[in-house]
Amino acid sequence: MPDRRFEIDLDRWFGEAPAFADGDLFALRVEARLDRGWSFRQLLIGGLGVVGGLILVAQIVGSGVAGRLNAVTAQSKDLVASRVADLTSLHILSAGLPLNGKVIWMSAGLAAVALGFALTRAIKEF
Amino acid sequence: MADPSAPSASAHDLELVALAAAGGRAAFGELVRRHGSAVRGLLRRMGAVPSLADDLAQDAFLAAFEQMGEFRGEGTFQAWVKRIAARLYVKRWRKDARLELMAEPPEIEAATTLGEGAAADRIDLDEALRDLPGAERMCVCLCYGGGLSHAEVAAALNTPLGTVKSHVKRGLDRLRRKMAPGREPDGEEFEAHA
Repeated sequence: MPDRRFEIDLDRWFGEAPAFADGDLFALRVEARLDRGWSFRQLLIGGLGVVGGLILVAQIVGSGVAGRLNAVTAQSKDLVASRVADLTSLHILSAGLPLNGKVIWMSAGLAAVALGFALTRAIKEF
Repeated sequence: MADPSAPSASAHDLELVALAAAGGRAAFGELVRRHGSAVRGLLRRMGAVPSLADDLAQDAFLAAFEQMGEFRGEGTFQAWVKRIAARLYVKRWRKDARLELMAEPPEIEAATTLGEGAAADRIDLDEALRDLPGAERMCVCLCYGGGLSHAEVAAALNTPLGTVKSHVKRGLDRLRRKMAPGREPDGEEFEAHA
């Protein structure tokens, strides 16, 4: 039979860790390297995001979408104005309300921001 | 005022692992503080010079942090990190031809937390390991310090399984003669760690 007792002792001896005097310093070094790694990743992701954003903007500008957007905005502005006038004439909306295309677009923007906040909070909570 | 998110010093390793897996840096730092010496000591016993041992131990803990979700808790956290460290050392050793197995492993700094008897055993082990030929020391340390099986050692060292078994057996015989001279094996091949 093999000398199991010696092997058990050997396992135990290997398991008995010497305590280095600079153990705390070692731990701080590991944490510092971890932080450096995270900072580098954040910078990399941020940099890639900026580059991607610039490319996206360049593509949008280059495709002439701004002109089409202007045309669509003008059409929608007229449409909104006529619908608001219809609702006002039917006394559904008060004539004193400052309701026009700009207000509706601003409201839509604020709603999008509020939705973003809600989603962020939900992700953080769950 | 104390940080309420800071892990308790009495927290179990598994609790700290769970916190670290969720990104808890403080919990991870506590794990490094608890087990750093064991990992550094193993690498030095394997033959790494102190600076390399510390670098690889840091690499091992960072790798462990990245893979924390894969730790199943089937063994101890320390054993898991030791395995990672042992594999990193072998990888480095194989990659860098200049890194020869040291004929004289460095002295391991004096322990401060072990009892006198345990410290004496540890010193004996360090001395006995220092007398082993490089290949035998590497194989014994990988099996008994790193917790790798013979097959895993053979794969890591790219060496035939039989050769690894021979190195381990001869290494154990030498260690036994040095550390437990009154206990001789009967010659049969041991089966532990196979």
